[in-house]
Amino acid sequence: MKSFLTAAALACVSTASFADTLTLYTSQPNADAQKTVDAFMAANPGTEVAWVRDGTTKLMARLRAEIEAGNPQPDVLLIADTVTLEGMAQEGLLAAYQSPEATAYDPALYSAAGFYHSTKLITTGIVYNTGVETAPTSWADLNDAALKGQIAMPSPLYSGAALIHLATLTGDKDLGWDYYSDLAANEARAKGGNGGTFKAVAAGEKPYGMVVDFLAIRNQAKGSPVEFVFPKEGVSYVTEPVAILSSAKNTDAAQRFVDFVLSQKGQDLVLEMGYIPARNDMGVPAGFPARADIKLMDFDPVVALQNAEANKAKFAEIFGAN
Amino acid sequence: MFMPQTAGGSRSEHRLLSFILFVAIALTLTPVVRLFVEGVTIDDRLNLSLFSDVLTQGQTQLALKHSLITAGFGTLVSLLIGSAFAFLVALTDLRAKTTLVFCLMIPMMIPPQITALSWTQIMGPSSVLLKTLGVAPAMGAPQPLYSQGGIILLLGIQHTAIIFLTLRAGLRAIPQDVVEAARISGASGLRVWWQIILPLCLPSLAAGIAITFVTALGNFGIPAMLGIPAGYSTLPTLIYQRLSGLSSTVLAEVAVLAMVIGCVAICGILLQRFFQSRQRVHLVGSTSRPLAMPLGRARLPVEICLWLIVCAILVLPMLGLIATSLVPAYGVPLSFETVTLASWHEALFRQPSTARAFVNSLGLAGGAALVLVLICLPLAWLMERTPSRLGRLFDALVDLPYALPGVVLAIAMILLLINLPFTDATLYGTIWIIFLAYLARFLVVMFRPIQASIRQLDPAMNEAAQSVGATLFQRLRLIILPLSAPAAAAGAILVFLTAFNELTVSALLWSSGTETLGVMIFNLDDSGETVMASALAMTIVLVVMGLMAGLQISARHLPKGSLPWQT
Repeated sequence: MKSFLTAAALACVSTASFADTLTLYTSQPNADAQKTVDAFMAANPGTEVAWVRDGTTKLMARLRAEIEAGNPQPDVLLIADTVTLEGMAQEGLLAAYQSPEATAYDPALYSAAGFYHSTKLITTGIVYNTGVETAPTSWADLNDAALKGQIAMPSPLYSGAALIHLATLTGDKDLGWDYYSDLAANEARAKGGNGGTFKAVAAGEKPYGMVVDFLAIRNQAKGSPVEFVFPKEGVSYVTEPVAILSSAKNTDAAQRFVDFVLSQKGQDLVLEMGYIPARNDMGVPAGFPARADIKLMDFDPVVALQNAEANKAKFAEIFGAN
Repeated sequence: MFMPQTAGGSRSEHRLLSFILFVAIALTLTPVVRLFVEGVTIDDRLNLSLFSDVLTQGQTQLALKHSLITAGFGTLVSLLIGSAFAFLVALTDLRAKTTLVFCLMIPMMIPPQITALSWTQIMGPSSVLLKTLGVAPAMGAPQPLYSQGGIILLLGIQHTAIIFLTLRAGLRAIPQDVVEAARISGASGLRVWWQIILPLCLPSLAAGIAITFVTALGNFGIPAMLGIPAGYSTLPTLIYQRLSGLSSTVLAEVAVLAMVIGCVAICGILLQRFFQSRQRVHLVGSTSRPLAMPLGRARLPVEICLWLIVCAILVLPMLGLIATSLVPAYGVPLSFETVTLASWHEALFRQPSTARAFVNSLGLAGGAALVLVLICLPLAWLMERTPSRLGRLFDALVDLPYALPGVVLAIAMILLLINLPFTDATLYGTIWIIFLAYLARFLVVMFRPIQASIRQLDPAMNEAAQSVGATLFQRLRLIILPLSAPAAAAGAILVFLTAFNELTVSALLWSSGTETLGVMIFNLDDSGETVMASALAMTIVLVVMGLMAGLQISARHLPKGSLPWQT
């Protein structure tokens, strides 16, 4: 009980004693979030970062409750997808900021008004268990009748990245909604998020799957019996954008944070963590093909937001609502 | 004042009751009320349109049906295993009871997500165990646990210890004299069970069933791990799915769904209370020798049977958990070449937050157990002695914070506590918001066993003390405390163990510096580090077993019968 009180007292002291505190909500994995914060604080002595890491779903639920109670905590968000942030921007919850670093980025990767800037590319491709006999090379291969009942994919009803994946693939002129109908007919399992999909493939329960690149490539490096494929039609992607809240209490530090993660230094860190940096002319981490060989499929967050509810409803209809 | 004067009541009792009732209501019911307001208002005006929208959706009705089925049958499974163990351990001459019960308690200490994870590790195509035995299903074969039956089975196993503990606390109070008296009057073995023992332990059994049902109803971890892959949603997983939506009405929708869970829970509790109120017996107290009926020749087969059950529900999944924690990456088969302690090292020594989380969780769980004993003991006794309308209402609603999924209670706490009324202060971001949430959530876990035990006390003892001039606090300290100490201790241990592993309430309320162990496990698993999560979970199980062993060593200083695994 004593140490509990001490810990509580320390928690109070640590939030009160720094005048220049930046509050960050992020969905990066723990170790990565720690690295980002440490590097930013080293580059900005005197600025303390209080940060919370959680899955995007939980983080948004928490933020919604804070907004509802009239006291949103974070100054900066660094979370999974642009569609979530586009929705917030349209509700007036984000502050526009034109970062000078944006010139080194493809205009498709940040909002024209400066509401959010992408920091990395997390692509969704095909993963398969190395115990299988045939390796797929394209999205179309997953509709082979031989793979019936063997495929797992994340559900857009649970995962933001999966909703973007759905919007990208159904927006493709060759694949379209027919592709998803065929997947449903091939008894693909579309439930849960990326973590569950990866586990199902690694465990061999569903030997084929659609999953985000780093989960498969990192675990493959550690020995998981999986292989990741960039399909020949291209890959969908989420970009872990950074954004400043319109209610930010420390706008100055928030802008410095945005500039930092977009800067060469911040992007080197992204590379070091094992992700594809969003900045132009950067390399790729070990295990990835050259950036020029990764074909990104077209995606527009504004359109995706407009269609989000309709896409979910149509998906639920095809795959059976749960 | 709401309290009508009743015979035997005194002024100081009324004052104390009003005070404690006020504290308890402020703790447990205000967050729930705050959340419900969210569901029935739009722009601060009463508006039931969203309410009826959500209720008429097919998904809501299906999830409600699934919740009823899984919680109901899950409780039945817990009831079958838990009561069999409780009766046999409390009433017969089984050997090695302490060890048996010690092992039975452990599944409850593993967070539900990890239970589900470890079970899926011992079944299905990737199972190291089945591969070694050469009976693993082919790649792509379905995982049998991803089904309604799987959810029911694991919910049942997870909550077996609740039935066991509450029922056993009641059985302890049955003195041997009662049974001997029946025997002398010529009652046969079966008749003693049916007409003496069962009626006497009914209040505790009913309390146990009620808590188990409510716990199963609000359980998120098991239906999330097993139900989501099967496309089988219960109300808590439907809430989780709704939370990932982008709409700004999401909190209101969640509030409505939470109300549905709350209503089902209240109905369940009221049903329990209806049956329970038809049976009421007063016992003098647990001072005499407990029962030890000889099993005779049936003893060895019964013992073998019980140990096999313990093996199935404890040893197998623990093996699965250990196996997962020892591989370098998920999906790698365990062998002499692949075995590594890397994830243990990373989880325990490289992540600086782990030590903080241990301190936080110990403090929160210990503090919650202590404070709740102080609140619940006088509250249960005074409510029993001085019935009042407010007391009855509280009694009916106290289960709500426990029935709501953790994430919903957390949202309610944020809405309530982010701006403290009349001040600039906030509890949000401090450890105290988690502490208050734990008090709200676990109050009923402490309250029900104490209430069941106090209902069995003979009011004559208190009246005798009162007639010789004992003050309220003297009576509380000298009569009520010693007599209900076993139930209170069992409740405290139950609260401590549940809070120590708590996973979904703190998941929304923590901030840097106030991590709990549950948050660590959830975050690791959520960010794809299942192997590290398993290592940490295994560590927690070992720590809890260590704590239990420590209690065992100091058992002679504790009230008789307070250690749930001791005979």
